Amino acid sequence: MDTIFQTDPLQSELFDSLRLELRRGCLILAVLAQLREEHYGYTLRKALADHGLAIEESTLYPLLRRLETQGLLTSEWREEEKRNKRFYRLSPLGRRILDQLLAEWNGINDSLHRILGSQAASAVESQPELTGHQE
Amino acid sequence: MDILDRYLQAIGEYLPAASKDDTLAELRVNLLAMIEDREEQLGRRLTEDELVEIIRNHGRPIVVASRYRPQQSLIGPEVFPFYLLALRRSLPWVILFSVFAQVVNLVFQTHGRVNIGAVIGAAIGHLPGTLFAFWGVMTAVFVGIEWACRHNGTSIAQPWNPRDLPRVEKSRGKVPSLASGIADLIVSAVMLLWLLAIPTRPFLILGPGVDYLKNQQIGFTPQWHTFYWQIIGLLVAQLVLKAIMIGIRRFGTWRKVLDLVVHALGLGILAVMVRAQIYFVPAQGFKSLPHETLAALNQAIYLGFRVALLIATLKLIWDVVVFVRDTWVGLRATSRVVV
Repeated sequence: MDTIFQTDPLQSELFDSLRLELRRGCLILAVLAQLREEHYGYTLRKALADHGLAIEESTLYPLLRRLETQGLLTSEWREEEKRNKRFYRLSPLGRRILDQLLAEWNGINDSLHRILGSQAASAVESQPELTGHQE
Repeated sequence: MDILDRYLQAIGEYLPAASKDDTLAELRVNLLAMIEDREEQLGRRLTEDELVEIIRNHGRPIVVASRYRPQQSLIGPEVFPFYLLALRRSLPWVILFSVFAQVVNLVFQTHGRVNIGAVIGAAIGHLPGTLFAFWGVMTAVFVGIEWACRHNGTSIAQPWNPRDLPRVEKSRGKVPSLASGIADLIVSAVMLLWLLAIPTRPFLILGPGVDYLKNQQIGFTPQWHTFYWQIIGLLVAQLVLKAIMIGIRRFGTWRKVLDLVVHALGLGILAVMVRAQIYFVPAQGFKSLPHETLAALNQAIYLGFRVALLIATLKLIWDVVVFVRDTWVGLRATSRVVV
């Protein structure tokens, strides 16, 4: 049955769309968190990928511009290794917003774990043979 | 690195001039860093094919450039439901007017000897163009509303209070929503503007058929001036009442009374048209005219309006009876609770 679902293009499309939606907010959080240290576009992308969060260039670079326009990042052009690069860093406002977002994210994460935990517990209770409570 | 320069140039064509150089400089640095990183991993220079692959993976120039632009939409998510409702609500009227215009046009062209097949064919043939034009006008109106809302920082939807929602009424049918009321108001306003524009732009009612009307030496009856303004007056009154109805949704009974008055005004418009009886007459200074055609046309339009008036009157009578019955039942229920 699983095999059938895995090859279903409709399901795959739906999954991709939901995954994208789920990742969108998390990516912003990850970018803000990573930019507590200064980075330019390419090294930021590499740092995120090294932490297991690969992100396309065409998504990341415009996102940096948008976050800067919103006042969450600051940037400056500076020479490094004989090449001018644009370095980004979290602004004071970005820092405050990041703290709030992290608190929110942790809250969501805890709630989700509690929901999944309680569901797992009820599933175990509804299968007495697994808990050894057979009558 | 010719291919990289060509790529950046292609992206630059779609970027806003103000930020173009800055964006391209940053993209260049990032792409060069990626290329150098790859070369370091391989321990050699990249081949052209490998370079092309990196650039292809980076994305199509137009798509990459579009991500640097703010998200743009002509009609935003807040206005869109109203736009959709207005289109849905006005669609039957547009089809009706389009068919009417085609019938009138064909009656003139065939001097009253109308072939029903030709009428249907003409109506269907011209409908897509009319619908497309109407869709364009409505879209332009709502784009204007969206623009005004964005620039003034206002919202098309007024703040709402769940307490204002009408009571659950099983017997009185579906109560129109606020969005539906606003859409109805916009459609009425567009219709009024359309009617006001007709005297100076008669092609709005008959399309290219207006030229034929001129060639046939016939014109609108002089009475048009009288009943045209009566209709405009009634439509303005309808518009005002519809605007008031949106504001007083919480008063169920009063809203229904206003609803009946609005319908009665619609009846008034039909009554004005029926009373006119003659809609087209020979143009001044011409004697040799297709009298039979004119008589047949006037009679057909007159009958059409009479049928519409009859149906609308019966509907209004039914609505009034239902309203009186429901109000009476409501009053009795209230008095029982008080006792």
